[in-house]
Amino acid sequence: MNLKSYLDLFELLGTDTSSREERRAFGLVNVVTKNKPLEQLSAWVYENKTKLKKPALSETFSSTLYSMTLLISVIALLFGFLSGVGLLSYNGHEPVNVIYFIAMVVFLPLFTMTLTLFSMFRANVTQSMLVHISPAFWMEKILGLLPNKIEDNLKEVKINPLLANWIVIKRSQIIALAFSFGLLLALLGVVATKDIAFAWSTTLSITPEAFHHFLHTLAFPWRDLYPSALPSIELIEQSQYFRLGDKLSDEMIQNASKLGEWWKFLAFATLFYAIVLRFTMYVLSEFGFKKAIQRSCLSLDGAERLLRDMNEPIISTYANENEQQFIQRHTAYDQMINALDASYDVIQGWAIAKENLSVIADSMKVISPKFFEVGGGNTLDEDMEIIYHSRGEVLLYVKSWEPPTMDFIDYLEALVKRVDKVLVCPVGTLEDKYETEAKEVNVWARKLSMFGSAKVWLKV
Amino acid sequence: MMHPKFAVVGHPNKGKSSIVSALAMDDSVQISDTPGTTTKKRSFPLKVDGEILYELFDTPGFQRARRVLAWLEQHDVSADKKHEVVQLFINEHKDDPKFNDEVELLEPIMNGAGIIYVVDGSKPYGEEYEAEMEILRWTGQPSMALINHIDESDYSEEWKRALGHYFKMVRTFDPMNTSLEQHLSILESVAQLKEEWTASVKASIRLFEKYHEQMLDRSAAVISKVIYKSVSLVEKLTFYGEDATKDEKNRIEEKYKERLRALERSTQKSIESIWNHDHLQKEQQSFPLEGMDLFSEETASVFGLTRKELLVTAAASGAATGAGVDLLFGGATLLLGTGLGAVIGGVGAFFAFNELSEVKVLGQTLGKRYLEMGPMENRNFPYILLGRTVYHTTQVAKRSHAVRGVAEFHMDSIFKEKWLNDDLRKSLEKYHKKFRSGKEIEAEELAEYEVLIRDVLKYLI
Ligand SMILES: Nc1nc2c(ncn2[C@@H]2O[C@H](COP(=O)(O)OP(=O)(O)OP(=O)(O)O)[C@@H](O)[C@H]2O)c(=O)[nH]1
Ligand SMILES: [Mg+2]
Repeated sequence: MNLKSYLDLFELLGTDTSSREERRAFGLVNVVTKNKPLEQLSAWVYENKTKLKKPALSETFSSTLYSMTLLISVIALLFGFLSGVGLLSYNGHEPVNVIYFIAMVVFLPLFTMTLTLFSMFRANVTQSMLVHISPAFWMEKILGLLPNKIEDNLKEVKINPLLANWIVIKRSQIIALAFSFGLLLALLGVVATKDIAFAWSTTLSITPEAFHHFLHTLAFPWRDLYPSALPSIELIEQSQYFRLGDKLSDEMIQNASKLGEWWKFLAFATLFYAIVLRFTMYVLSEFGFKKAIQRSCLSLDGAERLLRDMNEPIISTYANENEQQFIQRHTAYDQMINALDASYDVIQGWAIAKENLSVIADSMKVISPKFFEVGGGNTLDEDMEIIYHSRGEVLLYVKSWEPPTMDFIDYLEALVKRVDKVLVCPVGTLEDKYETEAKEVNVWARKLSMFGSAKVWLKV
Repeated sequence: MMHPKFAVVGHPNKGKSSIVSALAMDDSVQISDTPGTTTKKRSFPLKVDGEILYELFDTPGFQRARRVLAWLEQHDVSADKKHEVVQLFINEHKDDPKFNDEVELLEPIMNGAGIIYVVDGSKPYGEEYEAEMEILRWTGQPSMALINHIDESDYSEEWKRALGHYFKMVRTFDPMNTSLEQHLSILESVAQLKEEWTASVKASIRLFEKYHEQMLDRSAAVISKVIYKSVSLVEKLTFYGEDATKDEKNRIEEKYKERLRALERSTQKSIESIWNHDHLQKEQQSFPLEGMDLFSEETASVFGLTRKELLVTAAASGAATGAGVDLLFGGATLLLGTGLGAVIGGVGAFFAFNELSEVKVLGQTLGKRYLEMGPMENRNFPYILLGRTVYHTTQVAKRSHAVRGVAEFHMDSIFKEKWLNDDLRKSLEKYHKKFRSGKEIEAEELAEYEVLIRDVLKYLI
């Protein structure tokens, strides 16, 4: 994952319309990246790259960032070079005080690097104050104000502040590195083209011994490898310079050729403190930046969902095809009566046993010479036999809670051919004292209306 | 090997579709009190990444069972040939409209499906069921009976005695009140129908458990996202002229509120979708943003936190600083005294109890001017939204897919007590504070918050 793929991911997540099935299919095809969310994300970005609108946001952004960094670095290099030349300017009368240069190539870098380290630690927490001190931050702000410098679509990029911090930190290192190279170039250039007398001078009462000790400490990385790049105690004594003394002490003049020896120390100090250490900082920042990109990728809106969709199996339980819409017919049924007569020619019970039938009839105060159980456990032939013996008006009890089946309708069809009138009377359970529910009776009414025979009536 | 299949069969209108709907978690199945609602068999496969583990069939009810049985019995064959007769029946009556329902329901069985015979245990047993059960016996397929209770009354004893003659296994199941345990326990029974099926159905049981976890995870993710998004929401409105007019200020406030409502709506949709309740119709209280009387005792006690709870939470999470701390300590010492109301009122103003967020005018110096509203300053808001969302999620998650009709979601004050305690409030506040700060939230932080929410859901569902 790099900045480019982060931006691509950002853009893709914003516009992606892939279904869960498609995402899962991708996850299954790319099984090697399973459990490696970042690899999965970058594989996904790679796969979907073609969907990005041209020019991709990442292209514009990185090229803008690149050219800005380049520009600022060149400026920094020049600036470093000029500063170096300024610091080493030697008018032939006064020697060049190495203290300034040491401050510039050792203490300034050490100080800014400490700040950088600090902001690195703080970068993950919030928008770090320290980042705002960085030249990279401000130069960009200034460049941003130039018209047409930043394309419109770049303004839409909402870079994660954590990432933004690291972008600034990393680029500050590059710029500082360029500046340091400028200094080194200046030093080498000036040393090569001029004969400079270096000296050291301070208001503080520092003995040459102490100063030597100090330089010895500073030179720890290279003093054993290049002993000549550490000024000897004699050289330090010889090159101490007091403003109030003679213009140049005799000793200095005598050792003029030796005074030049300082440059080696300065070069090594620049190389180590301003360049090698800074480069280490750059490597560190690169590392932090990479980590920040990784974290930011996972924080992108939709990234977590995408990963989940890729890695979770799709479990489904629902029907494959849609159901045919069931249309309920609401034809009103008007062949209904409210009260039973006192007697009927035949009383039949659909799936109601004969003994229960007489109890029901009793409770409703109806009498009849004939009682039959039909349907239920009867065979079809038995039913036909009963129909054959039926005539006149038939009271047909049915269980109100049982839905009328086509078996019942078949029977009714045969029955009406034989008799004059059939009164279908739904009854509830014994526990409900044969009371019915309107809902249940409606079901019967609907069925009978579909049957549509003038001879059939329903008791409600 | 073929995956196991199960056909849910029975008399019309006894809840076959309801049972399938519940077991398949499909809320689109047509269920009605009109017999004959289902006219065609329908398959409900359990699939993982497209691979079928088992298949469930909904079927129409028996219409002419006696006639079919009479037909079958005309063929006098030995027991090992009976299923062939059933197949013959299907072949001969495929295009006979008279036997449409029987053919539809027998077909999956003859294709190897196990039988789940459904009866209504709230109505008495009747002899007329015997023809159906006899036909099922002719198919020779493994079978079990499920007693469903459509009404209150109970005739299951007589049913069990009768069903015992035809089925090795008789179970009760309520499709209208399902839970994961019940669902799985039915599957456990089904697994025993045939030895070859056991492994596959057991795998399905584990899959259902995983599915449930998945749904919890996804819900927690959606919920934590919406809380974060709503609390950190910033709405902008550019304006022209010297100062924003009252109208413009109202407009941004409306826009802000509408965004909040839209976020809640889309979250509810996602949750319903996660739990396969895409067809849910619901009735619920609207979000109490209007007039923002969030701190009326009533709203607070039902939805969010009371003043006292908020104060304690704020103090515990270190949200109280400066004046807040003073007021808090003042408040604490006065907690028993009569000045409580006044002190808390003052603190209320400090904590922006009653407002959502201030409308700020920005960009004055740069020429571009705009109004900005958000992030949410109201301390109670995240709890209100969380409470509502968690409530909605539990209701949706617990709702059986067989239930039709409008769901009424009316949260009461007891609900909050079920899941929100002091410790949780403290942990939540830490994140709410971060959300409010307007800073970007790390994926890990949101994940931690998600874990909190997930635990709540797991506990409630
Ligand atoms: N209260 C309650 N009602 C139920 C239950 N099971 C089914 N019902 C109701 O009974 C009616 C019939 O349910 P369905 O699932 O459509 O029955 P079915 O067996 O599929 O009916 P058909 O397809 O017409 O054969 C519906 O109104 C359901 O709401 C239950 O356990 N409790
Ligand atoms: Mg049905």
